Amino acid sequence: MSAEPALLSLTAVAQAIAKKQFSSREVTQSCLERIAKWQPRLNAFMAIEAEAALAAAGAADAALAKGKSGGVLHGVPIAHKDMYYDAGRVVTCGSQIRRDFVATTTSTALQRLKDAGTIRLGSLQMAEFAYGPTGHNSHYGAVHNPFAVDHITGGSSSGSGAAVAARLTFAALGSDTGGSIRLPAHFCGVTGLKTTYGLISRAGAMPLSQSLDTVGPLARSAEDCALLLGLMAGADPEDPTTLARPVPDYAAAIRLPIKGLRIGVPTAFYVDDLDSEVAAILDETIAVFRREGADIVHVELPDQRQLTAACQLVLAVEAAAFHKRWLIERPQDYGPQVLMRLQNGLAIPGVSYLEAMRWRGSALAAHNAAAAGLDAVVAPVAPVAAPTIVESDIGNSPDAEAVIQRLTRFTRAINYLGLPSLAIPAGSTRGGLPVGMQLIGRSFDEAMLLRIGAAFQRATAFHERVPAFA
Amino acid sequence: MTRPTAKEIKAMADVAGVPVSPEVATRIATSIGPAFEGFAAVAGTLPLDMEPASFVLVQVANGSK
Repeated sequence: MSAEPALLSLTAVAQAIAKKQFSSREVTQSCLERIAKWQPRLNAFMAIEAEAALAAAGAADAALAKGKSGGVLHGVPIAHKDMYYDAGRVVTCGSQIRRDFVATTTSTALQRLKDAGTIRLGSLQMAEFAYGPTGHNSHYGAVHNPFAVDHITGGSSSGSGAAVAARLTFAALGSDTGGSIRLPAHFCGVTGLKTTYGLISRAGAMPLSQSLDTVGPLARSAEDCALLLGLMAGADPEDPTTLARPVPDYAAAIRLPIKGLRIGVPTAFYVDDLDSEVAAILDETIAVFRREGADIVHVELPDQRQLTAACQLVLAVEAAAFHKRWLIERPQDYGPQVLMRLQNGLAIPGVSYLEAMRWRGSALAAHNAAAAGLDAVVAPVAPVAAPTIVESDIGNSPDAEAVIQRLTRFTRAINYLGLPSLAIPAGSTRGGLPVGMQLIGRSFDEAMLLRIGAAFQRATAFHERVPAFA
Repeated sequence: MTRPTAKEIKAMADVAGVPVSPEVATRIATSIGPAFEGFAAVAGTLPLDMEPASFVLVQVANGSK
């Protein structure tokens, strides 16, 4: 076991605290020491609540000494994207407009993790209103990639990706509307799960696009994602879009082998115009699955460009509608890029939006038909590894939307279809930048994705790579 | 589906109650044009009996059991 508890996985540290191998206070102190060292370099945290975290850790230790455990994550310190409402706490949503907004409710996802015993380390940076794929934030500064600090983290869950990668928090909630969990997972070398639309409650999570928003974890492994998912999934009366389905035993699923499973490799779109190093890592990833006994088959998916376009229409309109009041009253308080993107939604006719919404079921049925018999589809998360912060600082330039579309090219169609997708670290470039791959699954079949991801992580060590503090 | 022009976008934004300058309207036209073009093959082709809620039905019917 690591002498530095912050370096343990979520699963391992929870067990270590339960067995009293480490106290919650020791674990929390270890995280805080790493945060103090890394935060000036990364800008990953929005708020660090050291004193409160240590006090909560002490209380957790005292409870455990009396034989009282709060749950499977008893005493585990954790921080989340600063868009999950936590009653009585400031939740900035990465914005100037909500700089002083104090939540009066607690989000269901966050509450379920609290009920399992987690304690709060602080809150994590994010793109303004979760509307940006790079990790820039004109109000609070860009978040820096722990593996190369002049490169982006990806967004919008930028702080979540950086903080998990640098071992400042054991895991973090992110949100994924167009790629906002998978992109930081890819660029920062962590595991991120975009869940099926309707699996985890969005109640108390800042909305961006009600038809596309999903809640999910970023963590150090598929095993850790499975643990978190089991705690958060399931129906919630506060969010009527959640479906009343039994929550699978994700922890049991990840122990199963993948021999005989069928994994599809797209014949087009996801393999087009890839950076050569990303293409090579895709080939190596497929080779690992094959060695583990999976059957690799080619799959011809429906036109992903149409799905991506439909996603863009839906997202633009719904985001503009959420923000209309502030677009009228406080346009000057938005960053230039977010203002620009919100204004885009004003120009899309209602009929076009509804056509995109009406087509969704038919499009999902067509995808399901194409992927019938497959347990998952493997594809890159993005065509490139992390660009530099300077070269991707596009603001509201005329080229901004084109750059954003390129970064999110492989993620948006999945949001439109509402499918789950697990991003896993799969290698790195010669320059040391992480590269991730995504496993795209059937609706509500996160268990299968986690099973495949865990098998990949038993066969490789990419997810164990820790950035050096040079 | 035809992408709206900058002039049309300016009028639409005015009607929405969030006026934009001609420059912003031009920029919006450039930004959203690809979405309109990407969706053009679908727009105007959907049958009558298709509504957004069908998505959930397909999700449940074809998802993991």
